[in-house]
Amino acid sequence: MTEAVSAPGQRSDCAFAHASEAEFGRILDFYQVAWNYEPTTFPILWDLDGNVLESFAPDFYLPELDLFVELTTLQQRLVRKKNRKVRRLRELYPSLRIKLFYARDFRALMLKYGRSALVSELSGTMGQVVPHHESDLEPDDRPLGLDRSAAPNHAAFDLKPDGDAGQRPERRSRNARRRAIRKAAALANVPATI
Amino acid sequence: MKVSQDLVSDVAEVLLSEEQIAAKVAELGQRISADYAGRELTLVSVLKGSLPFMADLMRRITLPLRIDLMEVSSYGGTATESSGLVRILKDLSAPIDDQDVLIVEDIIDTGLTLNYLIRYLKGKNPRSIKVCSLLDKPARRLVDIPIDYVGFEIPDAFVVGYGLDFGEVYRNLRFVGVLRPEAYES
Repeated sequence: MTEAVSAPGQRSDCAFAHASEAEFGRILDFYQVAWNYEPTTFPILWDLDGNVLESFAPDFYLPELDLFVELTTLQQRLVRKKNRKVRRLRELYPSLRIKLFYARDFRALMLKYGRSALVSELSGTMGQVVPHHESDLEPDDRPLGLDRSAAPNHAAFDLKPDGDAGQRPERRSRNARRRAIRKAAALANVPATI
Repeated sequence: MKVSQDLVSDVAEVLLSEEQIAAKVAELGQRISADYAGRELTLVSVLKGSLPFMADLMRRITLPLRIDLMEVSSYGGTATESSGLVRILKDLSAPIDDQDVLIVEDIIDTGLTLNYLIRYLKGKNPRSIKVCSLLDKPARRLVDIPIDYVGFEIPDAFVVGYGLDFGEVYRNLRFVGVLRPEAYES
């Protein structure tokens, strides 16, 4: 699996893919729970030659609790995909602790904190700015040019753009992520740092 | 937020009646009295939701005990106005070093507040810290904290009454009920 080097999160220095993730990061910050954003990518499907075909990067890792958290506030079709991936992850890595946060869980959290008015902006398509994570895309949905030549059997697996074909989606993604940060910051009334 | 004058009409379903709560509180009081016999117990109530539970529970414990109150800021209210970190709004009024502390909570769902509170209280060197919660909503748990005394495990619904609020209202209901979605969606 791949481990990105990232310090425990701070709300504004992280490029979230979805506004709900930014809000969740702020909640963890508030309660002083350390977290990393998408620090680990787990391979979950290989071809017969051992090349990784599919991988999954849970949104948050809470090191003090040794817990991964995946937020899924997206449309039902994507939720089904995520459910399948989490099931597969649990089969392959049984010692791994992962909590799936559905849209209803997120709504309840917002309701509890008196922020139910923000739910529609932070959930589903409204809050989604880019495809959640390249590794969350189905094999057929992935942009061309991804390096799939990683070693088999849980070895390191990097998703790297390859040539021009790989760079364009990456550029779009970065701009879109900046928009997501600005949007999340505006909703939370805090300055955005990109 | 539009609140009906008849609070009960905003409740879709009574989850725990006054009688059920009273019986459970008596049972918890009995267990706590037995477990802490011969020891010096301090009950720490976390404002504001646990106030009715604390008031009833302490009268069901037959041991000499002290009580204290704490209040912790909640995410959302002041989060973006101040430092963005949880704060102790009201601290203990007396030291707890070398005492057996029992945190009295109304409900535990994510466990985030309790996790912070336990870490904070441990810094005050008590002999022991345990947790008593009237309600437990395990479906929402993020931080796995052992709860030593649980009244009721409840389903994943937004509940009010017996200290639990929505927008500071409904705390004075004598039962625990599920709030109608119209009440919080309006």
